Amino acid sequence: MTPASFPARGLADRLTTLFWRHPRILLVLLLTPPLLWLGVVYLGSLAALLLQSFYALDSFSGLIVPEFTLKTYAQLFTQSNLSIILRTLLMASAVTAASTIIAFPIAYYAARYAKGRLKAAFYLGVMLPLWSSYLVKVYAFKLILAKEGIVTWVATSTHTDWLLTAALSLPYVGGNSLATSYLGTFTVFCYVWLPYMILPMQAALERVPTTMLEAAADLGATARQTFWTVTMPLALPGIIAGSIFTFSLTLGDYIIPQIIGNSASYIGMAVYQLQGTAGNIPLAAAFAVVPILIMLVYLTLARKAGAFDAL
Amino acid sequence: MPPAVEFRAVTRHFGPVKAVDSVDLTIAEGAFFAMLGPSGSGKTTCLRLISGFEQPSAGQIRIFGEDVSATPPHLRNVNTVFQDYALFPHLTVLDNVSYGLMVKGMGKTQRYAKAEEMLALVKLGSYGHRKPAQLSGGQRQRVALARALVNEPKVLLLDEPLGALDLKLREAMQDELKALQRRLGITFIFVTHDQSEALSMADSLAVFNQGKIAQIGTPAQIYTQPATRFVADFVGSSNVLPPTLTQALGGPAKWSSLRPESLRLAQTGPLTGTVQSQRYLGTGTRITLTAQGTELAAFLPAGQPIPPEGTQISLTFPPNALHIMDDTP
Repeated sequence: MTPASFPARGLADRLTTLFWRHPRILLVLLLTPPLLWLGVVYLGSLAALLLQSFYALDSFSGLIVPEFTLKTYAQLFTQSNLSIILRTLLMASAVTAASTIIAFPIAYYAARYAKGRLKAAFYLGVMLPLWSSYLVKVYAFKLILAKEGIVTWVATSTHTDWLLTAALSLPYVGGNSLATSYLGTFTVFCYVWLPYMILPMQAALERVPTTMLEAAADLGATARQTFWTVTMPLALPGIIAGSIFTFSLTLGDYIIPQIIGNSASYIGMAVYQLQGTAGNIPLAAAFAVVPILIMLVYLTLARKAGAFDAL
Repeated sequence: MPPAVEFRAVTRHFGPVKAVDSVDLTIAEGAFFAMLGPSGSGKTTCLRLISGFEQPSAGQIRIFGEDVSATPPHLRNVNTVFQDYALFPHLTVLDNVSYGLMVKGMGKTQRYAKAEEMLALVKLGSYGHRKPAQLSGGQRQRVALARALVNEPKVLLLDEPLGALDLKLREAMQDELKALQRRLGITFIFVTHDQSEALSMADSLAVFNQGKIAQIGTPAQIYTQPATRFVADFVGSSNVLPPTLTQALGGPAKWSSLRPESLRLAQTGPLTGTVQSQRYLGTGTRITLTAQGTELAAFLPAGQPIPPEGTQISLTFPPNALHIMDDTP
């Protein structure tokens, strides 16, 4: 006769039995370390940041006065600081919009048509730029976009330099060369963040079942109607996810505008300079709160517009 | 009046595989037509050829006499109830049902009124504001039906429409679909691998095997007079007898079929063998035995003694039950 159950063979069996009888113990064991990390280190530092932003710098002694005040936030609304915020916001919006437009056909192709080796090549092509250092890529672009760089050379040798000259003579966004204009900053932002837009977008498009598209056509929808009434709404959560990346990464970046562009300041640069050289931690913290608020507003608007209905 | 759907030597290749192999088919207007076959037999491809999601490699498809070779799916006056229903998850039930009217440019009030009407027809009148995720399988099926029917198609295609439902719901839906088809009078073409579903619902059906049609006929014809060994075996799991046995039973030297339920226990009979297994089915018991070297199944109705496994029995059958088939496998 075989017994109804086998005896436990050691500590491992005893532990497995314990976890099987009380699944919560296992859950607590698994979740405690990451929750501690998230709660203390991650959210804690965010809370510290928030707290700092309600302090102010004593303008006479240059010391931080640890008393609650909204004075620091008021400083954000000075003309120069406001223009930094506005400039960052415009740049982030433009980069997000452009990335969406560039990424969509690539993501759509990869999700709908690419198979096997072609799909592997797609992933490699999108991820490869992420494997090399961000700084190297940005400096490489400084050379590419420079006045004596390859872009100018190609434009001259193909007799399309008039196009480049026209683009650079645009008011406000133009400049002496691509490397020293808003156009250049914009180009490099788009290049660097594009994979973060393509990947979630492709994942979202891949999740749209083919029968859904067939159903739309079956019910009389033209390709264009199917796209706007079925494909887009179903892929929107992915597109929003991608745009969160491109938008927030642009909002917080301080290196690209330092290396490429007309040395106009952005939120990230302001934070970097204020907490470093100026030692004005409260104002730096207040600046850092701005992208958080912008993202919250953005997500609320997206939610209101029904972007997450398909989730 | 031209037939609702007509296939003329239609072939559809997928690489070297002939999913549909030179099929000729005529489906009359107003028919409830079933395409029956095992998976991979080409029945679903035939349905997709009618809806336009597949294009024939050769041959011609006509819908109400009109050659549809150059007509994309959205311009065909046929609608499909998909196997997985393919309801749009981001739209409410009402928006799902009125989708076809919306893309044709009908105003909101008008299309909602029509959609409500159609939802009432499938008994989901008060569900318009829900999302598909909040419905049960049977309810989703009805929404898919309403969404197709609201466009007043001339032909309605149903791809395994009841496959995902449990038995009780499936039987109820069979009756309902049949009643709906009678009431609306439009041509229903449905694909199924379930022979009892095809027999009970369809006016006529085509049995598919390896991309070809093995037999077309009414359910009674298909069941009682299977044309080939495949049809006899696939529809109702009939006993297929080799020529030698047919001859021994007094028929010509050809393959024949003998329905399990036409076999009766007797003191003496033309078929004798040992009971090998029995399977209780509720309405009766299905026993298998080997007689004259051929494995046979017999269905014994409930209420009579079932011979235990290992006993020697004799079976008899009415003379007209032996159906002679042609040589096609």
